[in-house]
Amino acid sequence: MRAMIIDDSRTMRSILRRIVTDLDFEASEAGDGQEALDQLESGADLPDLCLIDWNMPVMDGYTFITRVRQNPEWRQITLMMVTTESEQSNIVRALAAGAHEYVIKPFTADAIAEKLELLGLTAAVVA
Amino acid sequence: MTAQAYDAPALDDLLWVADEVWHALLGEEEGLDRLDHPRDMSGGPVETVWSAGVSISGTWQGNVTVELGTTAAVALTARMLALGPGEAVADADLADAIGELVNMIGGNVKSLMPGPSMLSLPMVAAGRAAHSSDSVEALRFDAAWRGEPIRFSVHVPRS
Repeated sequence: MRAMIIDDSRTMRSILRRIVTDLDFEASEAGDGQEALDQLESGADLPDLCLIDWNMPVMDGYTFITRVRQNPEWRQITLMMVTTESEQSNIVRALAAGAHEYVIKPFTADAIAEKLELLGLTAAVVA
Repeated sequence: MTAQAYDAPALDDLLWVADEVWHALLGEEEGLDRLDHPRDMSGGPVETVWSAGVSISGTWQGNVTVELGTTAAVALTARMLALGPGEAVADADLADAIGELVNMIGGNVKSLMPGPSMLSLPMVAAGRAAHSSDSVEALRFDAAWRGEPIRFSVHVPRS
């Protein structure tokens, strides 16, 4: 399976890449929502999963989710917010816009693995 | 610690947030040690200190800042990026890593305060943090990680 990590922090992308590759995902990265949309539109293989930060320059994670959900061809992509944004109203807004899961930073590798298992995306266990 | 005369998170909450972030990023075995007698971070050359801050604007307004010595910043970055012992830490990587650190701490401080509010993107600098003259330090604690000093502070508008 393929995962796209969308976060403006290279450090966070690196942390998430290690977690998902340990769970046997192939990982790609984007530094903001627009860059991620460009990758989706490029014709390359679609990811099964996007891990999305909220607060990013150029295009934030919420806008990215709404744009993805406007395209029926991307309906099968699982969208998981991974963000410091923890206001209840924004969590509800992201889920209503089409996010499947919501993880608040900081997180552990186990927490990501458990969420992915709940989504049926992996049965692997992080050591 | 500054006396808490301004609307700010409780010191225990800030300690809890910092510990949570630290353990999540570095593992349970890596902890912050609270310093009751903080070391002066202002006496050395500017290159020996890094600072990162985020601002929160909305119903509650404030700035959350982390300051740490270059030794700690380099070690922290190497851990966050899982660099090997011989791998150099570039300034850009260091700025990104401590920017993400303060982003997480600031985001969790924001969640403790009345909303709605917005969190800025992090700003990182080589040197001590600079604060607006119309803000005041509402909360601070000094800690050590691997013996190196780290300062966490919250500034709020002067009322």
